[in-house]
Amino acid sequence: MTTLTAHVTRAWPIPALSGRQALGALLLGLLLAFAWGVPWLYDADPARQQLTRILQSPALAEPLGTDHLGRSLLARLAAAIRLSFGMALLSVITAALPGILLGVIAGWRGGWLDRVLSGIADACLALPGLLLVLLLAAIAPGNFWALYVGIALVLWIEYFRVVRARTRALAASPQLEASRLLGFGLGYLFRRHLWPELAPQVLTLAAFGAASAILAMAALGFVSVGLRPPTAELGLMMIELLPYYHEAPWAMAQPILVLFVLVLSLNLLAGKDPR
Amino acid sequence: MSRALSPSATRRWTSGLGGVLAPRLFQAGLVAWMVGTLTFVLTRALPGDMAYRIAAGRYGDDMVNTHAAEAVRAELALDQPALNAYFGWLWDLMNFDLGRSLVSGEPVMRELGHQLGHSLGLALAAVLLSLLIGPPLGLAAGLRPKGALDRISEVVASVLRALPPFAVGLVLVLVFSVTLGWLPAAGHGRTAHTILPALTLALALAAVSSRVARNAMADVAQAPYYAFSRTKGLGERLSFLRHGLRNAAVPVVAYLGVQLVYLIEGVVVVETLFAWPGIGHALVHAIVARDVPMIQGTALVMGLLFVVLNTLVDLVCHLLDPRRRTA
Amino acid sequence: MSKSLLRVDDLTIQGDGVTIAPFSLELAPGERLTLLGETGSGKSLIAQAIMGTLPRGLDASGRLVIDGERFEADNGASRRALWGRRLALLPQEPWHALDPTMRAAGQIAESHRYVAGRTPREAATAAWADLTELGLAEAGSKLPGELSGGMAQRVAFAAASAGGAPIVIADEPTKGLDAPRRDAVVELLARTPARGGVLLTITHDIDVARRLGGEAVILRQGRVVERGPAQPVLTHPHSEYGQRLLAAEPGRWTRPAPLAARASAAVVTAHGLAKARGGRELFRELNLSVHPGEIVGVVGPSGCGKSTLGDMLLGITRPDEGHIQRTDGHRLGFQKLYQDPPAAFSPHWSLQRLLNDLVKRHRLVRSAIAPLMAGLGLDERLLDRRPGEISGGELQRFAILRILLLEPCFLFADEPTSRLDPITQQQTLALLVELARERRCGLMLVSHDPALIERVCDRTLTLGEADYAGASVTATGPSLVTP
Repeated sequence: MTTLTAHVTRAWPIPALSGRQALGALLLGLLLAFAWGVPWLYDADPARQQLTRILQSPALAEPLGTDHLGRSLLARLAAAIRLSFGMALLSVITAALPGILLGVIAGWRGGWLDRVLSGIADACLALPGLLLVLLLAAIAPGNFWALYVGIALVLWIEYFRVVRARTRALAASPQLEASRLLGFGLGYLFRRHLWPELAPQVLTLAAFGAASAILAMAALGFVSVGLRPPTAELGLMMIELLPYYHEAPWAMAQPILVLFVLVLSLNLLAGKDPR
Repeated sequence: MSRALSPSATRRWTSGLGGVLAPRLFQAGLVAWMVGTLTFVLTRALPGDMAYRIAAGRYGDDMVNTHAAEAVRAELALDQPALNAYFGWLWDLMNFDLGRSLVSGEPVMRELGHQLGHSLGLALAAVLLSLLIGPPLGLAAGLRPKGALDRISEVVASVLRALPPFAVGLVLVLVFSVTLGWLPAAGHGRTAHTILPALTLALALAAVSSRVARNAMADVAQAPYYAFSRTKGLGERLSFLRHGLRNAAVPVVAYLGVQLVYLIEGVVVVETLFAWPGIGHALVHAIVARDVPMIQGTALVMGLLFVVLNTLVDLVCHLLDPRRRTA
Repeated sequence: MSKSLLRVDDLTIQGDGVTIAPFSLELAPGERLTLLGETGSGKSLIAQAIMGTLPRGLDASGRLVIDGERFEADNGASRRALWGRRLALLPQEPWHALDPTMRAAGQIAESHRYVAGRTPREAATAAWADLTELGLAEAGSKLPGELSGGMAQRVAFAAASAGGAPIVIADEPTKGLDAPRRDAVVELLARTPARGGVLLTITHDIDVARRLGGEAVILRQGRVVERGPAQPVLTHPHSEYGQRLLAAEPGRWTRPAPLAARASAAVVTAHGLAKARGGRELFRELNLSVHPGEIVGVVGPSGCGKSTLGDMLLGITRPDEGHIQRTDGHRLGFQKLYQDPPAAFSPHWSLQRLLNDLVKRHRLVRSAIAPLMAGLGLDERLLDRRPGEISGGELQRFAILRILLLEPCFLFADEPTSRLDPITQQQTLALLVELARERRCGLMLVSHDPALIERVCDRTLTLGEADYAGASVTATGPSLVTP
């Protein structure tokens, strides 16, 4: 178990990373550099088909080979990472902001407001997350926004619950009472007392949340109810390349490996074992 | 121990049960309402003339005529005003009237009956397999934190947790069926068919439960009461059996509740991958075929299954931890 | 010389920045020895070395003779077979030492069954007999979470001694217990030597050591400062440290200078206060006032509402009935000092930054800090540390510093020294007395130590005197007693 500590020297604490987390950050950094670097350095359209050059092995012209429609796997993988990570980032931010805000309010105020907000959170958890996302995906098939709304709707609850519990414990703590008696206002209490406690947990949740968003999108793509071809999406690429496993095992391995490293880096960045 | 069955003890045992069951019953109602509402929105949100499209899906493009479309329209109550239709929809749901599949024409309930059996069999095999792998490994690792077993199992668990169930399944298929040819890749019927899908799910579950068990055991082994049990003379084995196991089991079982989410999600993708004729496979098929009654039926059954399994986990926690009974 | 039950020759402990100088002891049946010292003196390590439970990274050397059998101290595992049968250890915090998921009787019965080798039926009978003898018959079917600290201590005692071990080691057995509970535990411990066993007690409480009698050893930083029969050592110690330790006992403190006549108006006055919590009435019709410079003690059993009263006077909690009048125009003058100093600070920031925040917030004069710190005996270098990185006594003085900067007129000190060592406790309370008398600040002091309250306070407020089981109301109401 690793715990995060905050730097003293800064006005707002930036969590210091453990060795395991630093490894995760490094892996993630490399993947992102790949994903955004490829379009700069290499001129390829992830959707351009070249039916004369299908399932080619990696070569100088096509460093990662081509798929069953002759599309550049290098370009497709880079595009798929951009899509997965972009969607994960977007849903994590949309989930974290209301989750933290409502969590602080519910934990701080308590009473009926807390009960109403907790009730809403419990209701969102009544269905397993992927089932909710599946139903939303069924309403708007192949739509990026349906996936995004569904995933964010599932993710915000974690932030809400953790932040609410922590805030509740802190709101009644001597350290907050002492600062209030010393004449400090709400902004100060949040900055000096609440945020340093919440920041490491929020980072952990964000990393786990991003990982599960990426997995959910890939899972839906894999069972053909997520995004539609010809989008370059990791799960979709796997199911598309599966029939060509015998001719091109290296092609099949690529999206699996990328998904693995992407999720592994986020899990490492999260820093904690699940509890 | 002699008083374990005294009247006060029995009262205590039953006292908390209502507290366990009532919220779960409420959750079941919530699941039904959410699934009903979302599938109702689904019928209204589809582009084009829904009735024609579904009729085309059912009878083939050539056979579509106004008559067939009208039949579908009536089945889904597409001809009524939205609010009326919505309450009618929920009313049918409350009476367990799930309608007929738009694809096969069979009553949804009958189809679900077959599929539920298959899914339950798979889920049960997976959970049992994961319980055989995960917690024992975790307990052993937790007794010697930072030991070789702990480190190896941590790396393996990290790798498995970074691979989604469908990727694990894919790798297993490629290794055991395609390359080695030992086990069938897809299908249903023989025991051999169960091994790969169940193992796929079990590995994902065990990866997490082994770490939870490891942390729980390491915490217990460090707890003052564990040290006291040893210094009062119970020895390693008795201390583990009498004070280690139960206390470590409480968080492991409680976490099983969280893991059920993975199980339900895993069932969807793993059944699809292995062409296993269960609820998850049927749900994906129904979504692709826009078979609205089947979507509703399968999602409802999966949601309720989630609630039932959660209730079981609650009951086991209740049994294991006397604090819950008195609280 | 009679045959000894426990003999320790030249026991030393090394590692992790800890050194325990060679230590020896010999106890014959019926004898007692008490190790006395403050936190960090290494007294618990000696007990752990004898048991063979030293934490990793610490190495023991020396020889032990336990009931005629010889052991090398460094081979901790060799004593495991003796646990419960020859050697019994009473744990430090009994609440945490009991399995939270097993009922009290079961935890005693298992010792009878597996350690003493009785049948399940005999073991259960013996466990209930133990409980009845200790006055705990009703606690047998309860879980540890439902027991009070004193009850948990007795259950742990029964569980540890069911195996009939003649050698009992008690590690801080009275930690966190109030005076009556503490005396009951001392009585319980005294049974072992009375039955012909030996008792080795580790404590920081001089009073406990004195009551136990036998031989007393004063430890400081891993060395024996003084040892000998308890009576002379603990009444007229020869060593300088021993004398300081004794002088730190509240009963020996010099009383504060008497309070000059109450010239000015009260800083806080309460009329007809009533408060209930969890359906139970804490007090009603409570009237009190605190004047500048006055020190009012508050005593009463735990849970009687001492802290709640303070929170009401400070305006943190509202009373159910009655009203409170505070001096006008000095909102920041009402302050509180907490029991656990680290809990009153955000642990993530340096003390310098926290003080700067305070100076900035209220536009205070920065130059006032240095002389105040000197007066409180605080080193400038501590400012760069975070709250968790300095000692509890130092941090409590920082808390006083924060309060002093705001020129307080009323301070509610909620057991401010109960987590501190005796000498630090004395220093801290002297500072509080000075704060009250010289800065004309009203001080309300909560403590569970009657001797301390008696010595320091001008008046005492006793809460929850009557039956506080809940059914009956505190009929007499709290009394204000002037000593």
